[in-house]
Amino acid sequence: MAAVTGLWERTWVRWVVAALVVVLLVVLPLILPELANQRLARIGVFAVAVLGLNVVMGYTGQVSLGQIFFVGVGAYATAWAVREEWNIVLVFLLSILVPGILGLVIALAAARLGGLAIAMVTIALPIIGVPLAKRLSDVTGGSQGLSARFSDAPEWSGLYDDQWQLYLVILIGGIVFLLTRNLVHGKYGRAFAIVKANEAVASSMGISPYRYKVLAFTVAAVIGGVSGFLYMVVVQYTSPETMSFGHSITLLASMVIGGAASIIGSLIGGAYYVLVPEITNAIDPSLTALLQGALLLLVLFLLPGGIVSLPRVIRRALHRSRRDAGPQGPTASSPTRPAQGRPAAEGTTHTERQGQA
Amino acid sequence: MGTFIQLVVDGLATGSVYAALALAIVLVNQATGLINFAQGGMAVLSAYVAWWFTTLGVPLILAILIAVLFSFVLGAVIERYVMRRFERGDPDTAVVVTIGLLTLITGVCGWLWSYNNRQMPSLFPLDTVQVLGAAISVRSLGTIVVIVAIMLLLQALFLGTKLGLALRAVAINPQSASFSGLPVGRLLMTGWGLAAVLGAVAGALVAPQLTLTPGMMDTALVYALAAVILGGLSSPLGVVLAAWLIGVLENLAAVYVPFIGHDLKVAVPFVLIFIVLLVRPQGLFGRRSVVRV
Repeated sequence: MAAVTGLWERTWVRWVVAALVVVLLVVLPLILPELANQRLARIGVFAVAVLGLNVVMGYTGQVSLGQIFFVGVGAYATAWAVREEWNIVLVFLLSILVPGILGLVIALAAARLGGLAIAMVTIALPIIGVPLAKRLSDVTGGSQGLSARFSDAPEWSGLYDDQWQLYLVILIGGIVFLLTRNLVHGKYGRAFAIVKANEAVASSMGISPYRYKVLAFTVAAVIGGVSGFLYMVVVQYTSPETMSFGHSITLLASMVIGGAASIIGSLIGGAYYVLVPEITNAIDPSLTALLQGALLLLVLFLLPGGIVSLPRVIRRALHRSRRDAGPQGPTASSPTRPAQGRPAAEGTTHTERQGQA
Repeated sequence: MGTFIQLVVDGLATGSVYAALALAIVLVNQATGLINFAQGGMAVLSAYVAWWFTTLGVPLILAILIAVLFSFVLGAVIERYVMRRFERGDPDTAVVVTIGLLTLITGVCGWLWSYNNRQMPSLFPLDTVQVLGAAISVRSLGTIVVIVAIMLLLQALFLGTKLGLALRAVAINPQSASFSGLPVGRLLMTGWGLAAVLGAVAGALVAPQLTLTPGMMDTALVYALAAVILGGLSSPLGVVLAAWLIGVLENLAAVYVPFIGHDLKVAVPFVLIFIVLLVRPQGLFGRRSVVRV
């Protein structure tokens, strides 16, 4: 174990691993069967959605129950613009601009109330979104929804549709993941972390919790919009059901189970969102909600850091058993969350709840 | 004019249901500082229990009383064995736990009693009474009366009894309460149980109208949360008034504003919230909270 982590510290090893991943992502769509490609593409779509949720919830600590709403808005914007025969670049811009503006406006109001108000307001988004989408039938096609075919493989590429779509998801999703990783590891990520850890401390350091909450929420909405665009690339159809309350909760569960405040965790979350309902449906459709709820609670009880923290938990358990065998076991335990990007957050206690009106 | 009065009374009735749920949320929040998103789900489970007993031939009123008792135990058990672990930790995690509970409870209802609509019998007849030329449904009046009575009962419990005093002490400062010898754990369980009872009454009263489904209270929960934000978490009276306001306004908007209609009336409280948050972020009746650093 120690040898592996030692090796990981070296820059060239990281580059080699990154290159391997890229090669794998380029080659895989060509050799996998169609069904697997489609499934991978859907995982990519929802990994982006979970990533957006992670920005506002995992990194900034604001519970949002409305992320799926922005995915839906992005999908509708894409479908509508494709129908109006816009240029594809403009379609993409619209699909992130509309959710972004909506997110900004909602956050400006919701973040004014501290504490859990964002959760209490955003829970309404899917519940209002569904009837709203049905009502605005001129734009959204009402209950029937909208379909838009714009992601068929072009002639020159010689690819099948599923391969082309998966490449699109990998390319756009990959860029979003890279940008988000840079965002949360940089100056803004540190600000998000301190807002999450203690708002009073954040204010005392000149970081306005309000402004950063609004920023995080808007970024999350924009990423949700990208996810909606990719959803249309892969699924080519959207209806009010896309942004239902149940999906919103599954998205949140995916984020927590994959691992909050983690890039890899978002990928695992995307996989959870797509695969687990398939499995539970195969067992018994009437058990889906029960199993999902039980799974979420189980993870919260046993593995609060999500699946992504599993290697760390195992490593620490091994470490402890080895130390206990030694002459004397010092009990200093490090914090459960990864220390990266959270300077100064460790020493503060969480006794006061912030801004609770 | 007749329609208007009718709409207002019906609005007050649905508002009372939201108010009961919202008060349950405030009760839990005052005691533990978290928002219980499973409050609606727990209410649905209790309503199912009441319905299940009626199908066994138990008289309705008795079935509801059994469900109320059941929900008290349910609330206490959830506090003790699920929430206790998360109460002292990160409030965000605790909120996610309540969302997990909501999914689980909805799943249990769907698994045990299927996702099909069930017809719950009503406590009140479907008659109407004539008041000032308006036909007012007895069911609406009954709902209002029952919920107001329960609120007054709770108020009396909190202000007039030793148990209420202890509950308030735990809500204000659990550590000091513990130092003065109060059994904080058991009091928290009682608080959660009482909140669940409020929810159960709301569920049993609203079930005949909405027909019983596992997701029956999802929308009601959203309204209740809206009432909590509007009224301010620190003001139970404000929350009740806000819930009534929401109930009446959405009913009027659904009929008199053509664009809103019955499907979009859930947006009404949130437009209201939007305006209130920009003008008065502490809620209509709440106090501005000051945090000691």
